[in-house]
Amino acid sequence: MYREGKIQVWQDYQKEIADNHYFYVRSCIRQNFFPGSEQTFLKIVRTELGKDIVENPHHTTCSGIGYHADIVPFDTIQTIVARQFALMTEAGYHNLAISCITSFGIYNEIIETWKEFPSELEKVRNCLKRATGREFEVPLNVAHAGDIIYKFRENIAARKKFSLINQHTGKPLKIVEHIGCHYSKMFPSKGVGGAEFPYVLAGMIESWGGEVIDYPERRHCCGFGFRQYLVMSNRGYSVSNSRKKFESMEPYKPDAIVSNCPGCPMFMDRWQYVIEEMEGKTYGENGQGIPVLTYEELAGLVLGYNPWDMGMQMHQTNVEPLLDKMGIHYDPDLKYAGKDGKLIGKPMMTGCGC
Amino acid sequence: MELYQELTRDVRFIEGLKSCMNCGICTAICPAAEFYDYDPRIIAAIVQSKDEERIEELLKGDTIWYCGECMSCTTRCPRGNTPGLIIMALRSLSQELGYFTESEKGRQQLAIKRVIGENIVYRGYCVLPENLVPELHPEQGPVGLWIYENRDEVYERVGANYQGDGEGALRKIPQEAMDEIYRIFEVTGGFGRFDKIEHFSKIKAESMGFTEDGDDYSDYVKYINTNNNGKHTRQ
Amino acid sequence: MKHIVIIGGGIAGIETASALTDTGHWVTVIEKEAQVGGKLNNWSCLFPTFTPAEKIIDELQDKCRNKDFSILNKTEVRTIHRQNGKFSIETSNDHKLEADAIVVATGYELFDARRKEEYGYKIYDHVITSADLEELFKTGNDITVAEGKHPKRIAFVHCVGSRDEKSGNHYCSKVCCITSVKQAIELKKRLPEAEIYCFYMDLRMYGKHFEELYREAQEKYDIQFIRGRLSEASEKINKSLLIKSEDTLSGRPLKMNVDLLILLAGMEAGKGTAAASETCGIGCEESGFLKTTDSFLKSNFSEQEGIFLAGSCTAPMSVNDTILHARSAAMEVNGWLRSH
Repeated sequence: MYREGKIQVWQDYQKEIADNHYFYVRSCIRQNFFPGSEQTFLKIVRTELGKDIVENPHHTTCSGIGYHADIVPFDTIQTIVARQFALMTEAGYHNLAISCITSFGIYNEIIETWKEFPSELEKVRNCLKRATGREFEVPLNVAHAGDIIYKFRENIAARKKFSLINQHTGKPLKIVEHIGCHYSKMFPSKGVGGAEFPYVLAGMIESWGGEVIDYPERRHCCGFGFRQYLVMSNRGYSVSNSRKKFESMEPYKPDAIVSNCPGCPMFMDRWQYVIEEMEGKTYGENGQGIPVLTYEELAGLVLGYNPWDMGMQMHQTNVEPLLDKMGIHYDPDLKYAGKDGKLIGKPMMTGCGC
Repeated sequence: MELYQELTRDVRFIEGLKSCMNCGICTAICPAAEFYDYDPRIIAAIVQSKDEERIEELLKGDTIWYCGECMSCTTRCPRGNTPGLIIMALRSLSQELGYFTESEKGRQQLAIKRVIGENIVYRGYCVLPENLVPELHPEQGPVGLWIYENRDEVYERVGANYQGDGEGALRKIPQEAMDEIYRIFEVTGGFGRFDKIEHFSKIKAESMGFTEDGDDYSDYVKYINTNNNGKHTRQ
Repeated sequence: MKHIVIIGGGIAGIETASALTDTGHWVTVIEKEAQVGGKLNNWSCLFPTFTPAEKIIDELQDKCRNKDFSILNKTEVRTIHRQNGKFSIETSNDHKLEADAIVVATGYELFDARRKEEYGYKIYDHVITSADLEELFKTGNDITVAEGKHPKRIAFVHCVGSRDEKSGNHYCSKVCCITSVKQAIELKKRLPEAEIYCFYMDLRMYGKHFEELYREAQEKYDIQFIRGRLSEASEKINKSLLIKSEDTLSGRPLKMNVDLLILLAGMEAGKGTAAASETCGIGCEESGFLKTTDSFLKSNFSEQEGIFLAGSCTAPMSVNDTILHARSAAMEVNGWLRSH
């Protein structure tokens, strides 16, 4: 594989990412499964990078999961999104920082729809006015939260406490990056590096000392498929697509998987457990799974944050193999503790690989 | 009703289907096509043919419900189509007309509406920690169970603001905000969609022998959530 | 004596020059390269007869030697002005020419296959273009992949940069289908053990003997043709390639592992033709190829009187069609000059 060719592609897809003053909108899935990642993001942006970022407790779900499971009509989601824009406008902000990839795709889809069908924008303005009395401006800059971490990856590297280097071998850690489908597959120019060779996570991994693994099923969907996971009897779709990816990445012996999507890291984490339960198969070393991280968790580890403060105990697949390789000290007894070390019981079974 | 004409009233359909030359580039990378007996190319070909009978078959069948809306198809299409958007327009119409209850996969819409739909309107989230009931989510594993059972403490430990006031992850969305979402659903036809899903599902449930039983057809919901005739995947 | 300046010394330019000289005109060819023949110089042999490209080049060079027209090599047109019914032309090396008519024969460029990022050209080790393969045939070098082995399974991908909104090229490049058939046969002759697959959307066997060659490829050389456009390629750890398509005739997604992937890069109007459009003040089609005033009866006429068009600057064309189009250009120029 020639790196020069990839560099060429990356150069073709440089997106503009606002430098400061962000209006933050949260992700439903991440608040449930990776709330610590959103906290970590805000902490990095505010305290490490010294940037201004605000959120408004009145913002809500964008209803994207409902929309992509087809129970929410297009007019409804457009108006809910317009309401988020109104909150941003009222706060005096123009730069949107979006935690969720599904939302990111939806915001882009809606803004593009308004460009192509101005009558839709008019309709939405009227609907929002009628429903809430609010008015809005379209954001000037739409960034995924990961874009912001990407933009400042070198600033993070400059403050790093740990590198993505295997402390036992001195070699770069091999990291698989997984990009949420709705990040750039719909609008390649909206994503750093485009749709085929996105650079948003690869750039972070490289800046922090790791090696990016490019494997054949890299571009394949994790298998969320909205209704294909939400409905119990459809979940075969979901696990079989994740499995395809694990099988494809296995020969490269990755040390970790990192994703910029809300759902993907959760699925790739949980399905490893399910596959182990069903087939006894594990994809990491020594019967372990491959740790699956959000990009904020990866950044936080590099910056020396406590993994349990970031919520990495909420993963089903153990992250300790990665922590050990990075030389990060952690207290195993505090992994499942509550606030201030309060004991709240442990998961019934954590000894297995996943 | 002219089904094709109805489809063209949806901007996503206009955007999704320009013209298809049946090259199969969408099917090649479609996660649904690898798993289900599904072919997005054929969906595009059928709607392009404007064959009302075959479009009706789509609206009443399982096929349109196989797509995962990952939108991988749009990146590649040499004609600028997005089969995923065609699917979204078909699914909307299928629900509008009540045809979704004719297929096993279509009927599942009620189960999604009951959880995700109601979360959105009444809580301001698509998903919530209390939805992750272990019996319904065995894939969440022992850690998921631990989180579920200790959710107040776990979310507090990782800095979330679960059901609290003010900012933060999983905060309680203020009532004024929820009132606005409610009105948006009223004004934009969101409740119209919900009502149709409920209405047609009720008729179907009755015809399949389920009764309301004072619990809003919960047996039917359980049935559609778990029923799988095993005939959907590629052999 | 009337003077005609021809821009471009490829097949079309030389053939037009030769025919116009025969009709008694004074002709000057402006060619940006050191030698004539254009892209044909990079080609090994031609469909559907496997005629060596050198044979055509030799004949073009014979014409250059034996006929009384002049060639300005390593020269490009800088400006063209029209005055009193004549054209005054200034070149990149400060030549000044006067002409009664101009023939644009600036040809095409190969589509840059890197733009189809999903195929990984110049990223994956064993993805090459049809032009690269032709180069390999021409040098006679051994065709090898990882660890110096011969490729066991090879796939050709049709329509790379053609019939594709994503590449910005809506048109068919015409020559790729038959090029694929020709190259597949040549490869099979050199690597008899290899399995060869061609992924096509439609097989456009429009020319004389094309269909017959396709049939021969199937019957005699066991080349497999799969109707499906390639969606993506990715490199495996052993440097072989995983490719994804649909076999649209059986309606099933198809994944295949190949050792070598050959992209049939299409034809684009290219920079030379774009520059000619600019300097001559003549229009382009949406495709970037030069506009002819009428597709049937005036396929050599540009929008500007006295400026004529020859060859693949007007549309993708085979060598054969280019020669015919060039000869017709000469006839049209001659007729126009005589009536003016």
